[in-house]
Amino acid sequence: MKFVYVAFAMLLVVGACSEKKKLPILGNRAAVERLIDCKLQIDTLYATVADFSLSNQDGKTITQETVKGKIYIADFFFASCPTICPIMKKQMIRVFEKYKGDTGILFLSHTIDPEHDTIALLKDYATRLGSDGTQWMFLTGEREQIYELAEKGYYATAMPDSLEPGGYVHSGGFILVDGQRRVRGIYNGTDEKEVDQLMLDMDLLKNEQ
Amino acid sequence: MRSLTFLCLLFLFSCSDSELVDLKNISHGAELYKNYCSNCHQMDGSGLAQLIPPLYQSDYLTENAGALPCIIKNGLKGKIRVGSNSYTLAMPAVRNLSRDDVKDICVYVLQKFPKTPIVIADSVLKNTHKNCP
Repeated sequence: MKFVYVAFAMLLVVGACSEKKKLPILGNRAAVERLIDCKLQIDTLYATVADFSLSNQDGKTITQETVKGKIYIADFFFASCPTICPIMKKQMIRVFEKYKGDTGILFLSHTIDPEHDTIALLKDYATRLGSDGTQWMFLTGEREQIYELAEKGYYATAMPDSLEPGGYVHSGGFILVDGQRRVRGIYNGTDEKEVDQLMLDMDLLKNEQ
Repeated sequence: MRSLTFLCLLFLFSCSDSELVDLKNISHGAELYKNYCSNCHQMDGSGLAQLIPPLYQSDYLTENAGALPCIIKNGLKGKIRVGSNSYTLAMPAVRNLSRDDVKDICVYVLQKFPKTPIVIADSVLKNTHKNCP
């Protein structure tokens, strides 16, 4: 009988632990003092992806408002890339197929070669990958803005000590961002196992929101 | 009787010898395929959606097997049809490959991906490679 109690207690502990599992919030954070209910309290300010304004494959302007309250995955590619991009896209298709039609989840693929990857080309690229361009969008814009977004918004947010500007742009990462534009995870988009983990983490994040 | 044994032995050796060479070529071709081709065409030859054509059981590959060395050497531009899909993305030329490298990739690809393996004579492979446009 005692054994049953112990087992029950253990189950309770395990249950409590797994329920609490939350994804980390990546990036620098700052403590700020705020007046809440007339009391000075310390609040944590998390790093977020900066505001942006880009065009999608239909020429529509996409900003931070588009992703407001939504979980999204960002990645960087270029259409003529013969190296890691096709492998990443193969993996991205897996994730996209799993969450297709889920209105709380978006996919933003940014071109890092905006001179070559025109809006018309991105449209064709999207269609060929099986996206109608609403949930999985292909974005272009000013080169400087895209690189800055990549380095400071997504990768540097997660890796503040990066001494390699631009180096991460080609690293093939899938960046998981929550509804408050906080980076919650970075996964190697060329590695099937890491992409499996991404999907598990997306489910965790969905429950959190 | 002795001569018959000798003949048998000779046959056995010649056979395993050519198979050995073949295996060596195929494994070398597989290594090169992994480095130069699999990023786009994938290890299993499945390609990428409707962007990059598959090699696995591709009718285009079967019909154009003889042109494969030149396609690897020079790349491929323009629209092609594979199965019921058409593909337009240009394939870049694969540089820094020796004639034997290209040959081994061809041997591997034509063994692995068509419905029935395709064998192309060495002479054809080498000639085609030499005469690529």
